[in-house]
This record gives sequence, structure tokens and C-alpha cells, in this order.
Amino acid sequence: MTSITFLFFSQRLKMTLTKKKEVDSVIRDTIDKVLVLRFGKASDLVCLQLDDILEKSVREVSKFASVALVDIDSEDVQVYVKYFDITLLPSTIFFFNAHHMKMDSGTADHTKWIGAFQRKQDFIDVVEAIYRGAMKGKLIVSCPLPPERIPRFQLIFKDV
Amino acid sequence: MDNTEDIIGDSFLADLDDLSFCDSKEEDMNVSVNYDDLESVSKLQKTQGYLDMMKKVEDKLENKGNMSDLGDDNLEYKLIVECNALSADIDSEIVTVHNFIRSHYRHKFTELESLVPHPVDYAQVVKKIGNETDLTLVDLQGLLPSDSIMAVIASTTSGKPLPEENLKKTIDACDCILSLDLGKNKVLEFLESILGYVAPNLAVLVGSAVAAKLLGTAGGLPALVKMPACKVQLLGAEEKILAGLSSAHFRKQILKKIEKWQEPLPVRDADHKKKRGGGRISKKKHRYGVTNTRELVNQIQFGLPEESFLDDRFGEGYGMLGPSGSEEVRLPIRWRRLVAHFTKKFKDMHVVRSGASTGFTSCQAFTHAQGI
Repeated sequence: MTSITFLFFSQRLKMTLTKKKEVDSVIRDTIDKVLVLRFGKASDLVCLQLDDILEKSVREVSKFASVALVDIDSEDVQVYVKYFDITLLPSTIFFFNAHHMKMDSGTADHTKWIGAFQRKQDFIDVVEAIYRGAMKGKLIVSCPLPPERIPRFQLIFKDV
Repeated sequence: MDNTEDIIGDSFLADLDDLSFCDSKEEDMNVSVNYDDLESVSKLQKTQGYLDMMKKVEDKLENKGNMSDLGDDNLEYKLIVECNALSADIDSEIVTVHNFIRSHYRHKFTELESLVPHPVDYAQVVKKIGNETDLTLVDLQGLLPSDSIMAVIASTTSGKPLPEENLKKTIDACDCILSLDLGKNKVLEFLESILGYVAPNLAVLVGSAVAAKLLGTAGGLPALVKMPACKVQLLGAEEKILAGLSSAHFRKQILKKIEKWQEPLPVRDADHKKKRGGGRISKKKHRYGVTNTRELVNQIQFGLPEESFLDDRFGEGYGMLGPSGSEEVRLPIRWRRLVAHFTKKFKDMHVVRSGASTGFTSCQAFTHAQGI
């Protein structure tokens, strides 16, 4: 029951992208704003939590960020899944002016944010850190959150 | 004058009693304010005070030349206050009767009260329309501006015509409002003519109604004249305070605040402060910065106890200034006062100075322990 209501929320305001062209155009067309691209499934619990937070903060960060959701299940998008090496869900990738922004949050993977955010304010802080770093011309920023609130995942390498 | 004052006072008291009587009557009826009787609603026109004032007003308006009894300042002021009060009373009375009319007429034509908000216009339109169902037959020319007339005629209403007795009551109430409005106009005319004698220039500058209110709130012409300009501004503020507590105004303010809170977050560092350099800016900054004297005071000689203008224990030290430095120390006045205070206060303490008569120079303290 709860998952159905979450579904409703996540599809309400933000765009869910299923085609490569759509993803391309979104990345290209977001100018001078951070683009938050979430890769995930609408049925996954952690995804839904993340979507909830994103939903709630979309309007508040709208002056310096925009949010888009990408559905991993679609065929078209597998190119990106492979390119960004997305294995754990949900993964969030940040762009600024079509440039991929990395963030060092103390985890092994700096290229994306894995997992959900604990609070809305955490998400806003992360987006702001990325924005400020990007405006200064940095390519990688450090995460403003304390380590307790950063979700930890074990990266399992294939064939190892 | 005193006679009319007493009568007015009594009539006001009588009004108050009547009002409370009215309230209890309302409580007997159910929730919504549903006046059934114009008599209980509109009492003002029957009060003695009202009748007296109106008589005075009409008399004066007829023999305009006869203003000789306005020689006394006090009298003029009282008259103006009375006129003010009367016009305010008439206003509130109009509002009450307007509510009365609305409560009846909304069964017939619900939208009219929002299309024509002004009470007097509403009363005139109601009187013209009466119980008519076809609005195109009604001629509203001259009563309202043409776009309002269009709006009124175009509105389709789900109301039903009023029963005969209700209609009669409504029309009576409309007549009541119209006569009250006439009365108010007369009072204002009267007021203008008084002001023409009391404070003609003021009346021309700001208009007679405002001038009357100013005089009334100030407490008479001599009082108004003595006020500094800033106080005159505050005269209007008294009214504003009461108006600010009105719900509509309050609500607007609250809504504005909520809207502000709900705005999206601003972009960080978007308003970049330009920091400028250069000799001119630097000089400006240094005017409020640390001075050379203060810099010397902040520095302390290493290894030596700091000297101060009071005893070693008290007072602000003067670092590299003073004997350990090369500058002559001239104490600021407040420090000198402190010195006087402390020397007086602590002169009883058994700490003897070795020769120096002032406490300015620090030296070894010779106490009994040293065996003096």
C-alpha cells in the first residue's frame, strides 16, 4: 500500500526519463544549474525514499538545481548505465553545464552518490556544495555531510 | 452648549442600553444575524442627540452669515468634535442598516452585494430593482458606473422574489440609508463652513474632512498649532493602529509572509560583493581601524610586568606606551576619573608607596611584612 502511494509521489512532479535522447537533451539543456540525475527503479524501497526527498526539495532548490529521474529498466538507457558503471540502486549523478561533477564523500566511489538521503536538508547541502564548487570551476567537491549520514555500500568488484 | 452636551451624553448612554437590548434579542434568534425589524437595527435617527445636531446643522446652513458665536476657541473645537463623532456614528449606522438590507435582499439577488459593495449605492440599486425579476427592464443609469451596470444586468441569479412585507422592510431600510447619507453630507457641509472660519487654510490644503479629523484628534486649533511636525504625522497613526488589527489587513500581511517563506532558496553568492582596493579605499578603512597608539598599547614587552595607570592590579595596561616605551602618556579623562576613584577607595589599604605621591608609576609595594 505504501509503495503505491510512493509511486504516486515520485511520478507527480519530476520527469521520469526512459529514452537516451531524453537524457541527452536534459543534460544538454540544463544551463547554469546543477542537474541531479537519479538512476533507479520506482519499485525499490530505497529509491522511493530518495524520490520522496527529491520530490520535497525540487521547488526549494529550483533556482540552482533541477532534478530528473531515469528508469534503469528501460533498454535505451543501458548505455548510460554501463558508462557510469551503475550497479547499486539508487545512484545519483550530478552534472553542471553538461559536465559530470564528482563528490568525495568518504566512500570508494566519487563519481556518484549511492543510496538515499536521510534528510531533505542533507540533499540541499549536497546540491549547494556542488553548485558552489562548479561555479568556482572545480571538477570535484567534498561532501559537506558528516560521515554518519552518508550511506555506506560495499563495492563488489566483478570477477574478484 | 452644555445643555446639548448633557443631552448628547444621555442619548449616548441610552444608545448603549438600546444596543445591549438589541444584542440579547439577537441571541434569542439563531446563529446568523437576521434582523427582522428595522426599528431595532437603526436607532440613531431617533436619538435626541442626532436630532439636535441635525437641527443645529440645518439652522446654521440656512443662515450662513451668522457665525458670531464661534468666537470662542473652545466652542469651535467642541463643535468640530461633535460633528466628527456624528459623522462617524452615521457611518456605523449605515453599515448596520446595510447588513440588514443584505440579509434580506440576498435571497433575491445574491451576487449584488459583491458587485456593488458600497452601502449607499447598494441601497439605491436595491430600491430601483425592487422585486423585478428581469434586470434588463431596470434603468440603473446614473446610479452606477456603466461597467458595474453591465455586470449587474449580465449576472444570472438563482434568487427568488421577496414576499411583500420583507420587500417593504427592505425598501424602508434603503430609504433609511439614503436619508442617513443625506444627513452625513449636511454635517460635512456644516463642518466645512465651520472650518472656513476656524482654519481656512488647513481646510483648503488637506480637505475639510481631514482637517476636521486633525483638529479633533489634536484637541483643538491651539493644540494642533503647537505640535511639532513629527507629532502631526502620528495623529493619523492612532486610527491606523485600530485599522491594522482588522482581520482583512492582518490576513493580507500573514499571507505575504507565508509567500515569502515558500519561495525557493536563493542562489548562493549570486550577489557578489565587490571588494575594492586602492589608496583611497585603504585610507578610508584605516580611519576606523586600529590606530598607532592602540597598536603600541597592544604590544607588551616580553618578560616585564605590564604597567598601568592604576595599581598593578587594576586599570588597563599600556603596553609599549609609557615608561617602557618612548611615548609620553597623557591619560584620557575617564581614566583620570578612575584613578581618583581608586586612590580614594583603596587608600585605606596598607600598601605604602615608596616615595611616589601619585599612583602613576608602578613600583615595589612596601607593606608591613617588609618591616616598615
